[in-house]
Amino acid sequence: MSNTNIIGIYEDETILLDAMDELQKNDVKIKDVFSPIPIHGVFEKLGITTRLPLATFIYGVVGTISVFAFLYWTSVVSYPLKFGGKPLNTLSFIIIMFVLTIFVGTLFTFLTYFIREKMYPGKEVELPVPTTTHDQFAILIEKTPGMKDAEVKKIQDLLTKTGAIEVKDSDVEYDN
Amino acid sequence: MDKKLQTGEGFKVITLVLIAFGLFTVLAGFFTGEGTRTWANLLLNNYYFLSVTIGATFWMALQAVTQSGWSSAYIRIPQAMSNYLIVSFVLWIFMFMGLHDLYHWTHVDAVQHDAILLHKAPYLNVPFLTIRFVLFFALWIFLTQRIKKLSAEEDKHGGLTYFNKIEFTSKAYIFVLAISFSLFTIDWLMSLDAHWYSTIYAVKKFIMSFYHGVTWIAAIAIILHKMGLLPMLNKSHLQDFGRYIFALSIIWGYMWLSQYLLIWYANIPEETVYYVPRIMSDYKNYFYGELIINWLFPFLFLMWNRVNSNMNAMLFVVAVLIIGHWVELYMSIMPNTIESHSITYIEVGTFLGFAALFVTVIVWSLARITLIPKNHPYYIESIEQH
Repeated sequence: MSNTNIIGIYEDETILLDAMDELQKNDVKIKDVFSPIPIHGVFEKLGITTRLPLATFIYGVVGTISVFAFLYWTSVVSYPLKFGGKPLNTLSFIIIMFVLTIFVGTLFTFLTYFIREKMYPGKEVELPVPTTTHDQFAILIEKTPGMKDAEVKKIQDLLTKTGAIEVKDSDVEYDN
Repeated sequence: MDKKLQTGEGFKVITLVLIAFGLFTVLAGFFTGEGTRTWANLLLNNYYFLSVTIGATFWMALQAVTQSGWSSAYIRIPQAMSNYLIVSFVLWIFMFMGLHDLYHWTHVDAVQHDAILLHKAPYLNVPFLTIRFVLFFALWIFLTQRIKKLSAEEDKHGGLTYFNKIEFTSKAYIFVLAISFSLFTIDWLMSLDAHWYSTIYAVKKFIMSFYHGVTWIAAIAIILHKMGLLPMLNKSHLQDFGRYIFALSIIWGYMWLSQYLLIWYANIPEETVYYVPRIMSDYKNYFYGELIINWLFPFLFLMWNRVNSNMNAMLFVVAVLIIGHWVELYMSIMPNTIESHSITYIEVGTFLGFAALFVTVIVWSLARITLIPKNHPYYIESIEQH
């Protein structure tokens, strides 16, 4: 099937938020929302959760521990050189641990995000509605194989009723 | 909308009993020959609650200067807290009777034979100290009371005139605080060890007061919300308070490390003299406890986003930080004064007495102002924050 999704295009984010409420009241499952700007409240309405902060925390902990292990190995185990009368295992580690923890956390979070989003530099943009990068907002509803024509009609009517300027089917391969 | 804070008889009885208990411990301390310990505790608690008030009023001024929207519904809490400055001034006058017990530099004959103290004498002498003390308190009380009065006028008349006037007064207050509170800290805490040099001590104490001022504001906002007096408090406001505490815990930890690590690295005797009694004695546990309670615990606990939107978890953090604040000041004052690390009834009693008095002043002030600044230009923005 080529037409896999139903899309409603809106021109205002407040109308979009109201439309989402209206659709969800009628038991329509919204799969995604496209917007040129971040809209407050969309995440809560979509019920999307992310595990990215947890991943960052884990990277940070791993970073702290491994950097400490490295410093300990270099200056206590492998090459124990005393200078300034300071102990070998010292507090001066803290600054390097601090900086490298941030570095490890940021870099690996960034890589994780890119891998999960299947992104790389120079990738062609695949958007169901290209104008969502300019001034339009879109609601995307998945058209499941078992969905009857009457149901599709109902969803399309709802989208029009809630203020969509255009309702169309999309055949852009879109998976999330 | 114009509901006022009301307190039951039980609250009055408990606070009165605690204040009486505090007074009793202070008197008992003097009559059992524990004079220095009692003065040190009076200094600790006077400074503790003054720094909370200074931090809270600094937060209030900061919100006006940055024209913050989200916080405008809670601006009456620090305004009520600012009344404690007057009480603190009165209580602090008694501290002048204990100068000889606490400060080595007030002994005129000792100063004559001490090159460092003689060098510092033009600044560290009792008449100049008195002048600074009166001047600083006069400025703080004048400016905070002016902000409070203008804010009350705004409730009656509305418009932007008062908003702009408050912003201007707040700018003046921040300038005044930056200099005066730093000098005040040097006068009363750092000069306990007058032979020591440090340029970051006052900054660290300023951050400390800001940090703990915000935690008190957050706690009062949550408690008032639970009493139904600030119904607009939602998860986003809680998160903002949580972010404030989280960020300030990091800044505080940064200041702690800046002071400690540079002194540790340089290893200059004049500087390390501060840390010798703190690390190389029985104070060691408090020393590391201070860092764990004030930095590590809030840093790791508030990192978890769900904690920020949970009122009871936030109150728990505040309760821990109230102890952390005390431990920090205990570590600043006691090794230079009583030189023994035991916690007796004097420590507990004076703290409870002062805390009860502080809470009484806040409640008394909150009951006498309208809690919701309904004509604040950003009030609508604040309640619709999401």
